[in-house]
Parts: sequence; C-alpha cells; structure tokens
Amino acid sequence: MTVTAERPRTTIFKRPSSAYGIWSWLTTVDHKKIGIMYGYAAFSFFIIGGLEALLLRVQLAQANAEFLTAGAYNALFTMHATTMIFLFIMPASAAFMNYLIPLMIGARDVAFPRLNALSWWIFFFGGIFLYSTFVFGTSVAPVGPDGISGNLAAGGGPGSFNWLAASPDGGWFAYQPNAGPFYSPGTAMDYWALGLQIIGLASLVSAVNFIVTIFNMRAKGMRLLRMPVFVWMSTVVAFLLLFSIPIIAVALFMVTFDRQFGTLFFAPVGGGDPILWQHLFWLFGHPEVYILILPAMGIVSEVLPVFSRKPLFGYSAVVFAGAAIGFLGFGVWAHHMLASGITPVAQAAFGLATMTIAIPTGIKIFNWLGTMWGGRLRMTTPMLFAVGFIAMFTIGGLSGVTHAVVPSDWQQTDTYYIVAHLHYVLFGGSVFGLFAGLYYWFPKLTGKMMNSKLGKTHFWLMFIGFNITFAPMHWLGLQGMVRRTWKYAPETGLEPWNVVVTIGAFIIALSVAVFMYNWFHSRRHGVDSGFDPWDARTLEWAIPNPTPEYNFGVSPVISKLDHFWHLKYDQDDEGRAVRKDDADQIIAELEHVGLNPPEPIHLPNPSYFPLLMAAGFPLMFYGIIYHTTAWGKALIVIGAMVALTAVIGWAMEPVEEPHDEPSEERAEEVEAGV
Amino acid sequence: MTAEQDTHPSPAQYWKIAALLAILTTFEVAMFYVDRELGLGGLNALILISLALLKFVIVVGWYMHLRFESAIPNRFFTAGAILALALYLVVLSALGVVVIRG
Amino acid sequence: MSDVVHETPVAHHDEHESTGIGNRKLGMWVFLSSEFMFFGALIATYLLYSNRGGFEGTYPSEIYDIPFTSVSSFVLLMSSLTMVLAHNALSKGDQNGTRTWLFATAALGAVFLGGQVFEFTEFIVQSDMTLSTNPAASAFYLLTGFHGTHVAVGVIMLLSLWGISRRKGGLSEEHGMNLELVGLYWHFVDIIWIVIFTVVYLLSVPSA
Repeated sequence: MTVTAERPRTTIFKRPSSAYGIWSWLTTVDHKKIGIMYGYAAFSFFIIGGLEALLLRVQLAQANAEFLTAGAYNALFTMHATTMIFLFIMPASAAFMNYLIPLMIGARDVAFPRLNALSWWIFFFGGIFLYSTFVFGTSVAPVGPDGISGNLAAGGGPGSFNWLAASPDGGWFAYQPNAGPFYSPGTAMDYWALGLQIIGLASLVSAVNFIVTIFNMRAKGMRLLRMPVFVWMSTVVAFLLLFSIPIIAVALFMVTFDRQFGTLFFAPVGGGDPILWQHLFWLFGHPEVYILILPAMGIVSEVLPVFSRKPLFGYSAVVFAGAAIGFLGFGVWAHHMLASGITPVAQAAFGLATMTIAIPTGIKIFNWLGTMWGGRLRMTTPMLFAVGFIAMFTIGGLSGVTHAVVPSDWQQTDTYYIVAHLHYVLFGGSVFGLFAGLYYWFPKLTGKMMNSKLGKTHFWLMFIGFNITFAPMHWLGLQGMVRRTWKYAPETGLEPWNVVVTIGAFIIALSVAVFMYNWFHSRRHGVDSGFDPWDARTLEWAIPNPTPEYNFGVSPVISKLDHFWHLKYDQDDEGRAVRKDDADQIIAELEHVGLNPPEPIHLPNPSYFPLLMAAGFPLMFYGIIYHTTAWGKALIVIGAMVALTAVIGWAMEPVEEPHDEPSEERAEEVEAGV
Repeated sequence: MTAEQDTHPSPAQYWKIAALLAILTTFEVAMFYVDRELGLGGLNALILISLALLKFVIVVGWYMHLRFESAIPNRFFTAGAILALALYLVVLSALGVVVIRG
Repeated sequence: MSDVVHETPVAHHDEHESTGIGNRKLGMWVFLSSEFMFFGALIATYLLYSNRGGFEGTYPSEIYDIPFTSVSSFVLLMSSLTMVLAHNALSKGDQNGTRTWLFATAALGAVFLGGQVFEFTEFIVQSDMTLSTNPAASAFYLLTGFHGTHVAVGVIMLLSLWGISRRKGGLSEEHGMNLELVGLYWHFVDIIWIVIFTVVYLLSVPSA
C-alpha cells in the first residue's frame, strides 16, 4: 500500500499498530471497518431473530399446538422483536451510515473516530449482554391465589423448548406492570432493560458523532443541499436518536429502579401510573419507527436514480419530506395508545396528526415513481429490491393510515392486522431497502460483483415468501386472531391461513440462505467490479473499489448535486444525458489519483481504549442485576474501574500520533508507488 | 451574527451578571414567602417561572456564550429545549396534570 | 487537464469545520441539546406524582427545607461565575487565575453535592422518606439523584483539569478547549438546577 497511517509512537504503553489480523479489527477506528463489523453483527442477529420467528410460526401452524410452551412462546416473540429492531435493523442502518456517510460527503473519517469505535463496541457488548439472558436469566411465575402457579407463561404446561422461557417475556414494549417486579420476577426483564440501556447509549454516541460529521466534515463545496439523500436521511435519523434515546433511557432507568431498588414508578399498588410508561415508551417508540425506515428510504433514493439513469425526481422535496417525517414523528406517539383510555380529545388529535404523516410519505413515494418514470430502467438486483420496497412499503403505509382512524384502530389493536402492517413497513420497507443497499454497495466493499442470477432468485423468493407470510395476516387479524397468544382453538377456523403463513416464513428463510451463499461465494469468486460498476452518481463511486484505507487520494471539491455524474455526463439540448467524450479519461484519472495519493496521508491511529471502555458497561450492568450479592457489588466496582482506566488512557492519547513532515526519501517512495 | 463574535463579556461584566442572577434568586425565594402569606396561586407560578426563565436565558446567553456562537448550536439547543417542553407538556396534559382551560 | 477540480492536497485527517465551530464544541452542544429530553422526562415524572393525592407516607413537598435549598442553589449558581472566570483567565494566559477559579468551581460544586447528601440523609432519617415510600418520593430521588450525578461528573472533570493546570506550564491551548467544553457542561447542569429549584422545590409546596 502506498500510504498508511504513520507508525505510531509509544505513549504510556505501546499503541496498537496491526494493519491486519484480529487486532486490527479490535482496535480499529476506521469508519469502514467499523461499518463492516456492524454489518456482520447485525446480520448474525437477523439470523437469530429469524430462527426465533420460525419457531413461533411452527407453533402457530396448527391449532392448539403443543410445540412450544407458553413461556417459551412469550420469550420468543419478545426476543424476536427486540432482536430485529435493536440488534438487526438499527445496527444494519448504522453499518451503512458508518461506511457511507464519510465517503458520500468526501471525508476521510467521521468527526470522532474513537467515539465511533466506542459506539460499535458498546452496541456489540450490549447485544451479548442482552442475549446472555438465555444463559443466566430467570423468570419465575408468581403463585396464584389458589396455590397453583399463577401464569403458564413462566413455564410448565405442555410443549417443549421451555428452557427458552427464562428470558425476557414482557414484549418488546415491556408494558407495565406486567414487566415489573411483581408480574415478571426473576432477572430476565432486568437483562432486557439494562441491555437496551447499553444499546441506547451506543446509538446516542453515534448520533452525536454523525451530526457533527455531517455538519462539519463535508468536502469543499459539499453544501447541505448537495448531499446525497442517504446522508440527509441519516441526518434526520441522527436527530431522532438524539432526542428520543434520552426518553427511553429515563424510562428504562425507572423500570430498573422499580425492579431492583423498590421505587414505585409503575406499580399501581403503590400509586404508580402504568400509563406513564406507555407515554415515555412511545415517545421514544414512534420516532424509533422512523429511525428504522428512514435509512432504507435513503438507500432506495440512491439506488433508483442510478438504475433509472435519471436524477432523483424532486430532490429537495424528498429531503424536506424526510425532515418532515422526522419532525411529525415526534408528535404522534399516542396513536399506539388509542385503546389505553386516553381522552377523546387526545384520541382525535393524535389520530389527525397521524394522518398528516401520510403527506410527506406520499410525496416520497410519488417522487420515487417520478424518478423511474421515463427512465431507462436497468432491472438489476438492487433495483428489484428498491422497486419491491416502494410497492411493499406503500401497502404498509396504507394499512398504517387505517390505524389513524380511531374506531378502526380499536378493532385492530392487538390483532394480527397490526402484525401484518408492521411487517409490511419494517420488512417490506426497511429490510428490502437494506438488501437493495447490500447488493448495490457490495462492489464498494469488496471490489467484486454479486452474482445477479442468485440475487434475482433471492429477490423473487423473498418477495413471494414475504407476501405469502404477511398478506394473510391482514385477514387473520380482521377475523379476530389475537397477537402474542400462543394458541388458538380449532373452531376459530384460523388454521388454514396460519399454515399458509408458516409456509411463507420458510420460503423467506430459504431466500436468506440463497443470499448468504451468494454473499460469501461472490466475496471470493465474484467477477471483478472495476471502477464505478453501476455508472453511479455519488461521490463514493469516484474512488477505487474496494475503498482504500484513506478513502480519497485527494480531497474532492464539489460543484453540484450528483457531482460524480456531472463529471461523466453532459446534457444535450433536450435535456438528455450524453456521456462526455473524455469521460473515460476522467475516470482513469480519478482511479489513478485514488490509488496513488500524491501526498502522504495521516490517518487517526488505532486505539485499545474504545474496546476497553465499552467492556466496562456490561460488567457494571451485570453488577446492578446482582447488586444484592457481594460479587455483584464487586462487578460494579470492577466495571467502573475498567471504564475509568479507559477514560484516562483515552484522554492521554492523541487522536493522531505526532508525525514528522514527509521526508524527501518518503516522497520518492510515494512517487515510485511503493 | 454581527461583529460581536469576539467581544465576549469582560470579568467585570461577568460579576455584574452574577449579581443580577443573585438578585433574581432572592426575588424567587421572596416570592415563595410572599405567596405563603397571600396565596397568589397562578400569579405566583407565573412570576416564579418567568424568573427561572430569565435566569436560564442569562446563563445560556452570557455564561455559555450562546449569544456569541454561530447559528448552528443555537438552533440545536433551542430545538432541544422547546421540543422537551412541548412533548412533556402534552404528556402531562394527557395524564391530567396540566389542565388547559379554554 | 479535465474539469476535475482538485484542491491542494490536505495531508491530514483534520477538520476544516464547515460550520466554523470546532468538532468537539459542536459535539458538546449537540449532546447537551439531547440532555433536555433526559431531564425533561424526570421532571415530568416528578410533576405527575408530586401532588397526586392518596399516597402513603411523606411527600417530598411536605419536608422541603426551602432556606437550605435556596443557599445550595445559590452556591451552584455562583459556581457558574467562577467557571467563566476560569475560562476568561485562561484565554488571557493567566495560569494562576485559571487554577484558582477552577478550584473554586470544583469546591462550590462539592459544597452543592455535600448539601444534597445532607438533604437526602435528613429526608431518609428524620422524615422516613425513602425511594419506596411513594411514587413522589421515587421521582424526587431519581431526578435530584441524576442531577447530582451530573454535578459529580462535572466536579471530577474540573478537578482533573485543575490537576493538569498545576503541572509545569499549566494548561495548553488543547486543554483550553477541554476547559471550554467542561464549562459548557457545567453551565448546563446549572441551568437544569435553575429549573428544578423553581419547578420542583418552590412551586410544588402547597400554599398554606
């Protein structure tokens, strides 16, 4: 490699310097490596969450089935949702944001590279912490007045997999007092509350980091309204995280204090108000919905113009609609609570506010259609997923509007109709968008192309499987099938559609297997992508594939929206894009500069401390769960010491080690391309 | 932003601002006792909240130099404060604590 | 040459700061904006429970010692003055002044914390009001406890800066930035207390 980070010097003890191998990953502060780690971790949790869903579907395929115990069922639906939301879609979006934001705005890294590594490691340990509940967690059923175990949910009863029941089982929304100390004794819900607390901290740190990066690190000429839509949507997401994570943090602290230290925030016997929990949870929970969907909208807004060979229709409208969705997203939380007894005025107000969200969302959908309209479409795999996204998300959006109608919502609440709706937006929306992004940016990561035949197989299997799975849930819900209930009676007549749904779920699983084979196979044996394989528009494609460690050989200067496209294309008199005569030469030049930076580039040095500091949190939080024991107290102290050591080391260590001015010898080396 | 960019207050001004803050705090505590005697109710709340708001703005504007910063942190900070105020007022009114009368 | 415009190569991972405000300072402002949501939730919870009737045990508002809290509020307010004076001294290169005012700020913060410990002890021992007495008490302790934690973190940061300033050469320009950041954080903790003092203490005592 021509240019790497300068050799680190020793401070107190030696700074990590591995350029490859396991330590290079454990100590990296490179936004690309961090993005890749986020991606693999997220995908692993996607597989785990998917397996949980399959177990649920096997149980439901038959009326009165005895495949899972009630306790295992409760634990599985709780962990399925928690996993998919907090451990899959959020980190998967974070993966794209990490990898792409600096590239798209023409920066060499994020504003705070070590904080970025810290976010990732906190997230990672948070995920491990949450899942360690399967090993350490307990959930004991209270004994009912008749002396019989009060609820089947905590175990016993017919069925198998009861060992799973010792994990969080209060739903991803953890309604109180059901998830409080009285009805959910044992430690499982503590693992849930504290695990989410850790993961939330990771999100808050990255939100600050991304906001500063986007506002401060843009290349020359990259004005806010020249940023790619993906960066814009990431900005909105970062603000949503910034303002919503603290709310859930407080709410989770209250739950933890209720469970561990005897406070009475949500305990009705002591005067607490469970509805307060619902308000705080959904104040966070609704912005969270947009945190999950907006990155996918950003991805789709990047993919569609490239494969329609047209600029995004109404760029500024898409940007402002995204910002409007984010803003309105804070004002509609109580539509999750329409059946909780809030006043009629509040119901009407929140119902109306919810309907207004359809306006910016509709603007986006029509802009995407406008982008495709009259374009020369190339139906590649990423394009298929993007188009699939529009169609599926529109269905999910429309069923969403039906919940804004209060009487209709009362009918649908807690039925499979809601399950259908949320999967159409989160799976048909977010997940399709994420897959579009994976196929689209795979060459950026690897310098290889993914196999398009397998890719299209994946798409069609997933598209068909998805609709077979979730479309029938609409009618199941309208027929009265209740959510979060592990059995239904044969007389209800719900069984046939449930069989169909379960078959669909397995088709989705098959499609994911195809994707995984394609991914790992293409990484080794894929066709070389070369430079700019998609004839793309945005800055990340104006550098070689895979991305060099330093991103840009020379920091770019931006003069227009879709700068890279305008380097290659002119407009003729009728406004059609015409490739410039010297386009190939420009590309060759970009490739040359990208691979051979004319000047030495100093990158931030790797560091041990983000990893060390992040490791302190789970230790402390294990300690909180077991604080009544001596070793629990010891763990709190040890965790705090670990984190404090890391803080001190971090503060003493400069972001970038001091370096000499490049010597002439070095300049010659660079010249010679060593 | 005008040429004020670099004209941070001088130490003398900082002391004057502190004196003002001290006086405002004295007023607050005095209001508390006046209200105990007279039972001013809503008026007391209005006065006390105005005084707190004034202190808040003085500290943010002069001690935190927000008055002298560029527009960006100003907007973020104001957005956070207003959003928090608005959202929690709605929550409290939905829970029946804050009653908004027509 | 094509129309590819390349600037003179920038050889560092450095920040040209499109907004004209440093990364770390902007980061601190962004973080502080989110803290409004954090304390807002705690204050709202307190307001929900503070005067709800029918709870067992002592309500916090029955046992507030307003003169005592007024004094400790005043102490915290004045620590904002010493904080800006420390910042001002450093910007003039006055290392002695910086040291003195930094220590004064940390000391005032510590006095405030001591007052809080005293207050909690009084409430628990004299008035038998604990975390689990009633939701109002839970909310009071959680809110003021989290605020106190913030103050404690601030005191630790101030003392670290003070420790560095005592070394030979005092605080460098780099540390000056740290001082500014700690200052922002410190003032923020102060303004939150301005709100808490009025809303939680002065306004929640039922008038006679």
